[in-house]
Amino acid sequence: MAAPVSTVGKPSAERLPLNTTSFQKKTRTKLISIPGTRPSVQNGQLLVSTGVTSLDYLLGGGLAVGTVLLVEEDRYDSYSRMILKYFLAEGVVCRHELFVASAQDNPDDILQELPAPILDDVAIHKPVEQPRLSCEPQDSLDAMKIAWRYQNLPKVQSALASSSRFGHYYDVSKTMEPEIRQAAKCHRFYLTEHPTQSPPTHSTMLESYSALLKSLQEVINSEGFDVAAPMSKSRNILRIGLPSLGSALWGDDLSCHDNPRNGHALATFFYGLRAMLRSSLAVAVVTVPSHLIQDRALMGNITRLCDNAIALESFKGSERETNPLYKDYHGLLHVRQVPHLNCLASKLPDHKDLAFKLKRKQFTIEGRSGRSTCCRRSSERGSGGRWASRWADV
Amino acid sequence: MLTELLQGSDAGGFIIIRDSASCSGRHLLKSFINAALNRLHFHNAYSDPLGWTDKPTFTVHQFCMEELARLLKQTSHPKPATLVIDSLSWILRHVSPPAVCATLHQLRKGGAVRAIVALLHGDMHQRGTVGSVCHLASSVITVAPGMKGGDAVAKITKRSKSGKVVQDEDIFTINNDLTVVIQSKHSQVGHKQADPEEQEMDPTAHLTFNLRLSNKEREAKEKLALPFVFSKEKKTALLHSSPGSGRILYEPDANDDYDQEDPDDDLDV
Repeated sequence: MAAPVSTVGKPSAERLPLNTTSFQKKTRTKLISIPGTRPSVQNGQLLVSTGVTSLDYLLGGGLAVGTVLLVEEDRYDSYSRMILKYFLAEGVVCRHELFVASAQDNPDDILQELPAPILDDVAIHKPVEQPRLSCEPQDSLDAMKIAWRYQNLPKVQSALASSSRFGHYYDVSKTMEPEIRQAAKCHRFYLTEHPTQSPPTHSTMLESYSALLKSLQEVINSEGFDVAAPMSKSRNILRIGLPSLGSALWGDDLSCHDNPRNGHALATFFYGLRAMLRSSLAVAVVTVPSHLIQDRALMGNITRLCDNAIALESFKGSERETNPLYKDYHGLLHVRQVPHLNCLASKLPDHKDLAFKLKRKQFTIEGRSGRSTCCRRSSERGSGGRWASRWADV
Repeated sequence: MLTELLQGSDAGGFIIIRDSASCSGRHLLKSFINAALNRLHFHNAYSDPLGWTDKPTFTVHQFCMEELARLLKQTSHPKPATLVIDSLSWILRHVSPPAVCATLHQLRKGGAVRAIVALLHGDMHQRGTVGSVCHLASSVITVAPGMKGGDAVAKITKRSKSGKVVQDEDIFTINNDLTVVIQSKHSQVGHKQADPEEQEMDPTAHLTFNLRLSNKEREAKEKLALPFVFSKEKKTALLHSSPGSGRILYEPDANDDYDQEDPDDDLDV
């Protein structure tokens, strides 16, 4: 069971130092207030944002804590890597902890390429300005000509706490400032730095995957992400990003051979990962190069073992690039699996034909025909009737 | 783009020339050697790949990071070398693809070589193997027979570090002295990944009324006295209210004891 809201935590009594309002909602139930999360309107699960607001809407409001999102990579791994970067950047902005494990690129390199948040109301860790005192010198009265009665009130801190906003927007052309990035705690796992250990006793999983699972287990236990851990300090969410899992660099021949020798290693890994996540306050986004995996039955197996699964198909290099129907978009998005957590049936998305487009300030996902709903940052309306609807921000 | 790749093999680059039975890529590989040539060290792993004779020069099982690094150090040249592999396919026949991928990845990252150029026969392996090896490469050149006899078509896919993918197609021939001549270029540059920001239309551009102010009008606007603008003294007097100038003192009485659950106060609990 993914961590439901009611079983965890103690009453939310944290008062922010410079709150804009003194209103405190009186609640009987023990809600935990972890910044960057909110309960789902459908079933009360605790949700985190993936960093892409259209994707949040597609997944039913956000990614439930304790679940895995599988992203099947496009051919050149450009857009799936972008989604992973959005996910990690959202973690930095919400002050969650990060865990990045990679076999190809150094995790530090991945972290340096995170997109910069668009900072309307993101809390930057600047020193708090002192409120203006009422006995200011007279010349300050000229500062406000019309609203002079409000001169002496303390200045409202315009940077709201990050918990008040769910889902942020990022500018892809800029990278995140090092100060913001270093404020977030990050755990790394780089496969080339781990020495190959003796082969494990059971042969269904590879050493690289077992080493990764062990490392994850250590981080979850030591940093207190386990749901069963005592409530000594405030809780936080661990965001796990695993790019290109299942590629040949992990030692797995699933993507190389049509009949792989250890075909179930990756599936066993996902089984173990999901079991670990169900009992901890963590979320995982995993990208798998499924276009290299020839055995569709194994791929289906892996898809079923993850809670959410989407597949990206980029138009680059295919004949669809010149198709006029697709000229506004960068690729198609297929939803392979929707989660059904603590329930029998799940809410399927309304549209089955989805296309995505990576713009500088937004990653949009749109479906075929239907009434166009307004979007918070609609820069331009879609041209033509067929691909005109936009997802509303929930 | 073929000429760019020939001239500047940038550091850390990994180029794969993928050919098939219908068109050989070995001549293009030799052109790459020719273009990058300063000194050539030749290691023969063809004559005895499995080490059946007593003194093998280079066996296929020596294709791992330690052995290759040792071999490269033996050349004793100050600059790191460009490693050219004629036929990765022969290695893939004997060593498992994950091991080959791991070795190539370590070679790239380790800094022992400046660049790697390898030939891969696409139709000798399973699709997954070819795909996995090409996934590691920074550029993949697929060679196919061209329209005319001596021509060949090269489809180039180049991936930069930032994730941008550029595709190009060139028709080329190779002369006897191993120089490449580009016949014609199909410039199909790939789409940019992010759109440039749309130009904002200036809303005050084409209006039928005048929105601008002349200098005189601006002065008159500044001089205008607003209705609730007080003088400085009055402002300070209002802001710092003197003691006793109208405070409301209130003590709550019995009627203020409002019970939410019993508004009419008539329940006999």
